[in-house]
Amino acid sequence: MKKKTINGYLLVGLIITGVLLLTALVGTFYTPFDPNAMNAAEKFQAPTLTHIFGTDNFGRDIFSRVIKGSGTTMAIALATVAIGAVLGTLIGAVTGYFGGVVDEALMRLNDALTAFPSILLALLVISIVGPGNKYNVVLALGIVFIPSFARVTRTAFAGLRDVNYITSARLMGAKNGRIMLLHMLPNTARVLLPAITIGFNNAVLAEASMSFLGIGVTPPDASLGYLLSEAQDKLSRAPWYALCTGGVIALLVFGAGLIGEGLQKMDREVA
Amino acid sequence: MLEIRDLHVKFHNRDREAVAGISLTIGDGEIVGLVGESGSGKSVTAMSIAGLLPRKQCDLSGDILLDGEDLLHAPRSALRQIHGRKIGVVFQEPMSAMDPLMKVGEQVGEVLRIHTDLDKNQRRARVLEVMEAVDLHNPEEVYNKYPHELSGGMLQRAMIAAAIVIQPALLLLDEPTTALDVTIQAQILELLKKLNAEQGISMLFISHNLNVVRKLCRRVAVMQRGVLVEEGSTDRVFFDPQHPYTKRLIDAIPTRHGKETV
Amino acid sequence: MKYALKRIFMLVLTMVIVSFLTFLAFELISGDPAEAMLGTEATPERLAALREELGLNRPFLVRYASWLAGFVSGDLGVSLRYRQPVWDLIAPKLEITLCLCLASFVLITAVSIPLAIWSYRWTGTVFEAVRTAFNQLCMAVPPFFTGILMTYLFGIVLRLFVPGDFPDLHTRFGEAMVHLFFAAVCLGIPRTAMTVRMMRSTVISEMQKAYVRTAISRGNDRHAVLTRHVLKNSLTSAITFLGQTMAELIGGSVVVEQVFGIPGLGRLLVYSISTRDYPVVQTVVVILAFWVVLAGTLADLINQQVDPRLRLGGAA
Repeated sequence: MKKKTINGYLLVGLIITGVLLLTALVGTFYTPFDPNAMNAAEKFQAPTLTHIFGTDNFGRDIFSRVIKGSGTTMAIALATVAIGAVLGTLIGAVTGYFGGVVDEALMRLNDALTAFPSILLALLVISIVGPGNKYNVVLALGIVFIPSFARVTRTAFAGLRDVNYITSARLMGAKNGRIMLLHMLPNTARVLLPAITIGFNNAVLAEASMSFLGIGVTPPDASLGYLLSEAQDKLSRAPWYALCTGGVIALLVFGAGLIGEGLQKMDREVA
Repeated sequence: MLEIRDLHVKFHNRDREAVAGISLTIGDGEIVGLVGESGSGKSVTAMSIAGLLPRKQCDLSGDILLDGEDLLHAPRSALRQIHGRKIGVVFQEPMSAMDPLMKVGEQVGEVLRIHTDLDKNQRRARVLEVMEAVDLHNPEEVYNKYPHELSGGMLQRAMIAAAIVIQPALLLLDEPTTALDVTIQAQILELLKKLNAEQGISMLFISHNLNVVRKLCRRVAVMQRGVLVEEGSTDRVFFDPQHPYTKRLIDAIPTRHGKETV
Repeated sequence: MKYALKRIFMLVLTMVIVSFLTFLAFELISGDPAEAMLGTEATPERLAALREELGLNRPFLVRYASWLAGFVSGDLGVSLRYRQPVWDLIAPKLEITLCLCLASFVLITAVSIPLAIWSYRWTGTVFEAVRTAFNQLCMAVPPFFTGILMTYLFGIVLRLFVPGDFPDLHTRFGEAMVHLFFAAVCLGIPRTAMTVRMMRSTVISEMQKAYVRTAISRGNDRHAVLTRHVLKNSLTSAITFLGQTMAELIGGSVVVEQVFGIPGLGRLLVYSISTRDYPVVQTVVVILAFWVVLAGTLADLINQQVDPRLRLGGAA
């Protein structure tokens, strides 16, 4: 078998995402300026060495705001993916392992749900749980992401159900729970990892869209999407605000996308 | 009419030559069998005659001459004139070898569309005629069917019809009966014999099954690991094999008490 | 024909289920509409009167049935926020969103299919690498960001349209179309990239199939193999994907309308969600769901015309 090598996609993706993640982590306790400190003397400054992303209409440092915002966005995206992945994997594992009518019914429901654009589903859930609160955003997006994870895991588990070593483990008297956890789950990592990166991507985009629309995260928890909607109002006076904020979102999505692409490529090469 | 001289084929991603120096001739109206296990290079030989090898991914040397015309090194555009017109090919799995979205009749007539000036009605008339010749009854009905609506045996007849519709000089048959039931297999072999007798088409019949080859071919060549290990009249090879590999192949044929493998 | 009828029956059934679930969900969360409408002016008597007027005292299933009947006949209730019939509110916005999505759909189809074929032909050349990188970029940049860039470039710098000021669709049709064109491009970019990628890999996998070898053995050249055989066989996946595209576009339009200041259905939805105008939200949700299900059904019906194998499979 060919040795697993880290391919270009994966490497570049990991670097981009790593840098962004690290910056956001540092940003939780240190930013060059106070992201909310106003300074009338320095409003609408184009990017300089002091304010590398420039300042907004209140003279706030955009770079600091973007760092804070990307932290919020990433935290929400991670929490969302966590909810979706854990619940989705659980549902998918159980239905895939046991099969039967429940499995059939859930998969039909799943098919129906995945036909809908995720942003619409998220809007629907947020209108039910109530807009304008970050926990509700996480909840709404998390729920929306369950079906895609459930599908991936179900397929993997259903495929493994009748494989020899699983059958023999069952014959040796292993409990179903133990089989699923010890024997099957590790084998689904192959499909779960790319699904998680894609999920992270979609979560970033969905959170940004919702906050951009004003029904996601609202101040004081400014996320990248909210910053972008702020930036749009000042587009003619401070185009750098929108450019820098949007650029960071694009970079975030691009990085995670490359990781997903790289993982899938690696999987194909090993197989 | 077909002459292969010292043919070598090596794929770039393999260490061993797939075909390592083969020479074989097929005379006018002759049916020659080419026998060997899978991986022995018999299909690669056929594909290089038909010009279906990916040239960028392999090295070719030697000569393949069809009525004196070079097939191995000719430019693609020249080869296209030979494909279909002078050489017809029948593949193993008729179901996947047919375009699933094109009516069977149109596929049978495709060679005519490419290589002749016949109009639609003339082509149709010729297709129906050939379908009749390969014992496809109700050709009118079959013409408008899609591949998935026909049985494997009928499809293989249609494939043969498509290959001979323009009366090529040579018919390459790459395991044409392998995917079929034993009874259908026998019918197809009868059909090939009939076409050979009536129309004088030369054939290269490739199979891993010596027993099938014996029913059809007067002359047979045995291939192993890219080289011909034995060649001669079918009866001679069958009853007095010289090479140990041929002996093993013959021993592998089930006796009349056993089941014939497909 | 039988298959088509079955498919349409499924469509109706799905819509009934979707509308029921939507009605149920909003019934549970929306609380008392009468209270919401009266707000601070609520007195017990006025509440009771309004409840009676709105028919809130009837059992749940009866209310669902009458809402459904109203929906079919175009009577969708009254907006809590605007105090005007929901249908009057939605109709002009639906028109704009339909124009936007159809324009985008036409652009995606017209651009991606030729591009996919070219990019297949470029396989192994420098163009391939350029295209792959560009494709990745197009998929990574979210539409609201391209939207902002485009409003800045074409709206503010070049002044081809006025961001946030959408011309009336009927009186200033041409200007409205210019405005919509930029929004449609922005909406279509990521999806075009995805369609190209998907079409290209479909063509590549079709090219590996045995029937291609047969076609070559008959003397078809590369071009004929592609146009006469492979493209038709790739068509069903393309149509399914374009059906999904129709569904995705309506989702994307919510954001793009916000960026370009287009008063369409998406903006109405967002506004109604933030003001908790449930009768409007509910109706828009059902309309959008209908759109999604309809797109899928149409794609299936067209596919079934393209691929004779599906005709048998569908009837069985």
